[in-house]
Amino acid sequence: MKKLGLAIDLDTCVGCHACAVACKEWNGASLMAGGAPDYEPAGAAPDGVWFNRVRHFEVVSNDAPSGCQSATRTVNVPMSCMHCEDADCVKVCPTGASYKRASDGIVLVDPDRCIGCNYCAWACPYGARELDEQQGVMRKCTLCVDRIYDEALPESERQPACVLACPTHARHFGDFADPESKVSQLTAARGGVGLMDSLGYKPVNRYLPLREAAPVDTSKTSARGWRERASAWVNSIIPI
Amino acid sequence: MRPAFSVIAFTVLSGAGLGLLTWLCMAFLTGAVGDAQSARNALWVAAVLTTVGLLSSTLHLANPKNAWHSFRQFGSSWLSREGVFAILLYPAAILFAIDVEQNGGRQLWPAAATLLLACAVLVSTGMIYACLRTIPHWHNWHTAVGFPLFALGSGGLLVLALTPSIAGRGPIRVVVATLLIAGLVLKYSYYRRYRHVGESAPTANEALKLGLDKKTGAMNATIRLLDVGHAHGNFLTREFGFEVPRNRALTLRLVALLLAFGVPLLQLLWWPELPWFGVVSALAGLAVERWLFFAEARHVVRRYHGMSMY
Repeated sequence: MKKLGLAIDLDTCVGCHACAVACKEWNGASLMAGGAPDYEPAGAAPDGVWFNRVRHFEVVSNDAPSGCQSATRTVNVPMSCMHCEDADCVKVCPTGASYKRASDGIVLVDPDRCIGCNYCAWACPYGARELDEQQGVMRKCTLCVDRIYDEALPESERQPACVLACPTHARHFGDFADPESKVSQLTAARGGVGLMDSLGYKPVNRYLPLREAAPVDTSKTSARGWRERASAWVNSIIPI
Repeated sequence: MRPAFSVIAFTVLSGAGLGLLTWLCMAFLTGAVGDAQSARNALWVAAVLTTVGLLSSTLHLANPKNAWHSFRQFGSSWLSREGVFAILLYPAAILFAIDVEQNGGRQLWPAAATLLLACAVLVSTGMIYACLRTIPHWHNWHTAVGFPLFALGSGGLLVLALTPSIAGRGPIRVVVATLLIAGLVLKYSYYRRYRHVGESAPTANEALKLGLDKKTGAMNATIRLLDVGHAHGNFLTREFGFEVPRNRALTLRLVALLLAFGVPLLQLLWWPELPWFGVVSALAGLAVERWLFFAEARHVVRRYHGMSMY
C-alpha cells in the first residue's frame, strides 16, 4: 500500500508561485478535479479556488549569540492537501464524498456525492479545501491523480503539475511508504517535518527545514583596522 | 468562523422543538399530561419548530440535490448521525402522535423511541462541533453538553407556556430553573475560558515548524506573516477570518447570558403567569448565544494567515 505525497524544500523554495499557477492551469480544465474556478478574475476583487497556496513568512531566530544579529529569513511556504493518514475531513463527511484511497492514500472528493456543507473544510487544519461556489462542491488537491497514472505521458512527466513546474526543484513527489524512495530519503536526510502534527492528523507531506544559517557577527563592524583608518584620513584631507 | 444564519436558525429552533418534544414524551410517559388538547397543540408546535429548523439547515448546503447521500457515513460522521436520527425521529414521532390521538399516549414504545431519538439528534448536533480538533473553542465538553442542555431548557420553558394544565408544574419549574442555572454557569465558564483556550491553541511555530531547534527540538523563533499570497479575500478568509470587535463581543455575551438564562430564570421565579415572556427571551438570547458561538470560534488555519486565535 502506497503513501503518496510531496516533500517540499523550504530552503530552496523561492516563493515564485509557479507551483500554484501550474496547479491552476492543470486542474482548472481537468476532468478529474472538475475545475478550480475563478470568480471575476479581471474584476475589482479577483477570487477563486486554489488547491495550492504559497504564503510568505519572516522567521527571526531567537537564539542568536550575544553580539550577533539574529538570523532573519524570509520563508515561502506552499501549502496544499497533506493527504493525512488520519484525515478528519474524510471522517466527518456525511455522504462519503470525501474519501481516502486505500491503494495510494490520496484524499479525493467525489463531486457527484458532495453536498457542499463545508464540514470537511472546517475539519482541515491546513486550509486545503475550498468550496467551488459555482458548482457548490468542495475542491482540493488531487495530487494530479489524472497525471501520475497516465501511461500516455512519458514516465518523467507522471508527476503532479506543481512538481514539474517548480524552477528550483523544491518540490518532490513520491511514495513515503517506501523507505528507498527519493522523498523518504530526503525526509530522513534533512529531518523533514509535518506541519501542525500536534493535532494528530498524521500529515503525509513533509517540509524540509531551512539549512543552518551562519549568524552574522555584528560586534566587529564598528572596529576599524589600519586600512579603514588610513582611508578615512585620506578622505578627510581631500577638500571637496 | 462565519456565522451562517441558516445554521443559527436550525440549532435554535430545532433545539427548542426537540427539547419540547422530549418534555412532552416524558409528560405522556409519566401520565403527567393534563389537558390532552393543549398537549396535542404543543406536539404540533414541537413538530413545526423542529421541521422549520431542519429545513433551514439545508439552506446551508451549497449543493442540496445530493443531500440524500448524507445518511451513508453513520459510522464516522456526527453530521450523518444527526441526519439519520432526525429522519428516524419522524416515523417515531408520527406513531407517538397517533398514539396520543387514539389512546392518550399511554403506550411506552412510541413515546420512549421519540424521546431517545430527539435526545440523539441533540447530542449529535453538539458533537458535530465538539469533535472538530481544528477549532479549539468548540473541541471541548462545553460544546457537547451545551447543545442538549440549552435545548432542554428552552423546551422546558415552552412546555410550561403551552400546557398550562400539566401535572406537577412546581417540580417542572424547579427542573427548568436548574437547567437554566446549569446553562448560565456552563456558558459563563466557557466565556471565562475563551481566551485561555485560544492561547493554548497550536502556535504559529507549531503550525509552521520553522524555528525548530535541531538539538533541543524546541521552537525558538519568532514567526510573522509577510504576505498571505492573495490580494483579495477567498473562501478560507471568508469562512475562517470572521472577527467580532472585542467590545461588541463582550456586550453580546452579556446580552446572551441575560436573555437566554437570566430573564427566563427571573420569569420562572417571580412571574410564572407570564410564561411566553420567558420563552421569547430565551429564544432571542439563544440566537445571540449561537451567533457568538460561531463568530467567536477560531479555526487553526488562521495561523497560516497571521490571524490571532482569540
